[in-house]
Amino acid sequence: MAAPRSSQPNDQRPDRVCEHCGLPVPGNRAPNAEGLYFCCGGCEAVYGVIRTAGLDRYYDLRLDDQNRPALPAAPSGSSFAQFDDPTFQAAHVKPQGDLGLIDLYVEGVHCTACVWLIEKLPQLVPGVVSVRLDFGRSVAQVLFDPDQIRLSEIAARLDAFGYTPHPFRAADRRTLRRREEHRLLIRLGVAGAAAGNVMLIAVALYAGAGEDPGVAHLFRWVSMLVTVPAVLWAGIPFFRGAWAGLRARTLHMDVPVSLALIGATASSSVHTLLGRGDVYFDSVAMLTFLLLLARWLQVRALRAASDASELLLSLTPSRARIVEADGSVREVAVDGVLTGQVVEVRAGESIPVDGVVVQGQSRIDNALLTGEPLPVEIAIGSEVNAGAQNVSARVRVRVTATGENTRVGRLLQAVSEAQRRRAPIVRLADRVASYFVLGVLLLAGISAALWWGHGPEIVTARVVAMLVVTCPCALGLATPLALAHALGLAARRGIFVKGADTVEALAHVTNVVLDKTGTLTHGRVTLTAFDGSDELLTRVAVLETHSSHPFALALVSAAPRDARRLDVDEVVDTVGGGVQGRVEGDRMIVGSPTFIAQQVGEIGSEWRSRIQAVAARGASPVLVMVGGRIAALAVFEDPLRADSAAAVAALRRLRLDLEISSGDHPTAVEQVARAVGIAASAAHGAVSPEGKLGHIERLTEQGRDVAMIGDGANDAAALAAARVGIAVRGGAELSLATADVFLTHPGLMPAVELIRGCRAALGVVRRNLGLSLVYNLITASLALAGWIGPLLAAVLMPISSLVVVLSSILSRPFPRARAGSQPEPAAHPGQSASEREVVA
Amino acid sequence: MIVIYLLLPLALVVTVTFLILFVWATRDGQFDDVRTPQIRVMFDDDHVPPATPKEPSPTRVERKPS
Repeated sequence: MAAPRSSQPNDQRPDRVCEHCGLPVPGNRAPNAEGLYFCCGGCEAVYGVIRTAGLDRYYDLRLDDQNRPALPAAPSGSSFAQFDDPTFQAAHVKPQGDLGLIDLYVEGVHCTACVWLIEKLPQLVPGVVSVRLDFGRSVAQVLFDPDQIRLSEIAARLDAFGYTPHPFRAADRRTLRRREEHRLLIRLGVAGAAAGNVMLIAVALYAGAGEDPGVAHLFRWVSMLVTVPAVLWAGIPFFRGAWAGLRARTLHMDVPVSLALIGATASSSVHTLLGRGDVYFDSVAMLTFLLLLARWLQVRALRAASDASELLLSLTPSRARIVEADGSVREVAVDGVLTGQVVEVRAGESIPVDGVVVQGQSRIDNALLTGEPLPVEIAIGSEVNAGAQNVSARVRVRVTATGENTRVGRLLQAVSEAQRRRAPIVRLADRVASYFVLGVLLLAGISAALWWGHGPEIVTARVVAMLVVTCPCALGLATPLALAHALGLAARRGIFVKGADTVEALAHVTNVVLDKTGTLTHGRVTLTAFDGSDELLTRVAVLETHSSHPFALALVSAAPRDARRLDVDEVVDTVGGGVQGRVEGDRMIVGSPTFIAQQVGEIGSEWRSRIQAVAARGASPVLVMVGGRIAALAVFEDPLRADSAAAVAALRRLRLDLEISSGDHPTAVEQVARAVGIAASAAHGAVSPEGKLGHIERLTEQGRDVAMIGDGANDAAALAAARVGIAVRGGAELSLATADVFLTHPGLMPAVELIRGCRAALGVVRRNLGLSLVYNLITASLALAGWIGPLLAAVLMPISSLVVVLSSILSRPFPRARAGSQPEPAAHPGQSASEREVVA
Repeated sequence: MIVIYLLLPLALVVTVTFLILFVWATRDGQFDDVRTPQIRVMFDDDHVPPATPKEPSPTRVERKPS
């Protein structure tokens, strides 16, 4: 038996990087006429266009940005014909006089040079008036002249550069969220303006301006007029939170904050009106400002994640093509499709409904639903599910279920149910705060009792002083600041966290359940062994260019590229079997063992045992026949990601219990488990989405805090049910929408960093809480002794806040980006649209 | 010190003016994207593309038929 010669498809020359995208050049690619190397044809074409248009500066700009992940230009090749549809235009294009304005979500924007190139579109495409790109969100605002250019042409041009455009669909949600953010920012501005001015007046008062009774009176009145409306309006979020907390019978941070704000403002106002006693307007205004600042920073830090999940809406299909009785095809919104109607699904589109195929045959990619990486064959009578990708040919489908009744819809319902059932996370800061409130009230009571004999005026002064100095300003700052800082650092590393609670939950995680396909592995097949000559591989590849099967694509990209043109004719692509044809006069068949067996009757026992060996380790065998004789065996596998084993080892060092739960074949799952170092007993194969959900719920019932790491929609319900759901790059939109965290860099290593970072961040939170409690203990004793007046309060308060701020900002929950943390390059340049980075 | 009776109200007028400008700028969406402008400023080779018409601010947003 000939030793199988390993033919590494991603055998790369380390010294050659693509002129366009900077990724390593596959070993089998030849330089172009100018002697320049490219990783793929897409990059070469784009390089040509950019050079011809005189936009070489793109490459200079790109050099400024070395630490951004590089992406090859991989046009999706869609026609974008739907962009010219009148209903599409009515929904997405805002008319601006004679011009049209559209928001497009562009995939693949990852660096400064991308911004520059996209904004230079008017120079490349006549008819485009201007383009403004929002880099953080990857949303381009395109102003174009509909009389000069069709929208589909603009879209196709963007696509050709590797920036696949989608209509931006989350506009309504974005507007709502923006309005909320604006309001918070305005509150912050109002509080800041009030604090600044009142502080100035207070400094003048403390410095001696108050000796003139008239001036002192004026200063107090002005302070009151500025502070009262500012604090009452800007502090609304705290009052509202406190009220909601009281009604729910919980004492959280907003309660002592509101108590201090209202108590101090009221007593200071009374003192101003009476013309005697202490006023604390400066402290109150500053307090409001600092607390709002912390809240705003936290909102900012979380925004990156919500932006990204909004964009995902743009990727899901919202339109369907209905085939009318007379055979004409009409495009409508998905909501308008009825059961019993027939819809047309073209190659490359997502299937919008559940149904039965009534015309045509094709392959569909069910990865979204089942996690199965290989497309399956469909023909007349096959059932198809919404969300599956139609890979190779146009089919017509009779609708059996739409919307919520589809399998995806039911899965989504399971998701929201799982989310509802999940126990709310009681945050550390809120737990501390509830004891804190009781402590403050108790101290205020003791203070009142101690000073009772000195008359009501002294008593109120002491109680108010106590409330002001013990106001948990530092406590309120401690958590949001530490979290915002950690979230910001995480986002810079491509880790997007959707909720602040998640950081705390992640730090407490005890079990991690991993998905296999796309998480531990690349999620797409690659040729891993071929026991024939290079010459034969080239011939096979030439034949396979006539097929769109993923095995064919893997073969083509693995084969050495030969300049010599080979004659190919009589090609027949049998769906579900293989490809046959005549290459250079030799009759060749490449196909599955069953298909070959049908052709030749019987496969020799030597080949049979090898095929069984390959199948036994979870790989897929394909036979090559030349002139009626079996000549070679090709083995296809979904290879492990380079960092999977290291990441699993790192997770284990963090004392986490690891398990694999996959929809894939148990043998394949065990194989992967062995390779990454997980016991076979903890590797579960052939698990349905519902099974994954059940597994997570069982673990949760046993009192474990489970984190689920997955990529497919088959993980969506499990991701939602787990204490923390982490979606990895390249995942289905559905899983990203339900996950608490998503990673935009490939591989598992970011997840490890995330858990480590969250533990560190929680440590910072604890340190901050400790610091502010110690501080409050000291000031409370001073207040109890009656030594705290407005001046000392005004000095002490910012000091405690400053300590907490510094403690948060100087912490580094995530290690600095190292050269070694560069994302692994994609194995195939021509990856699918969803495979490309969702967010730069 | 009599002048303080004039200066203090004057200072408040200035404060309110800037506050109004800040509110306007926020509603106008000028703080919505704080990342792209810092990149755009590096494209110094030629003129900056003409600004697109501003997005309708939330105060006067039109609901799109969808």
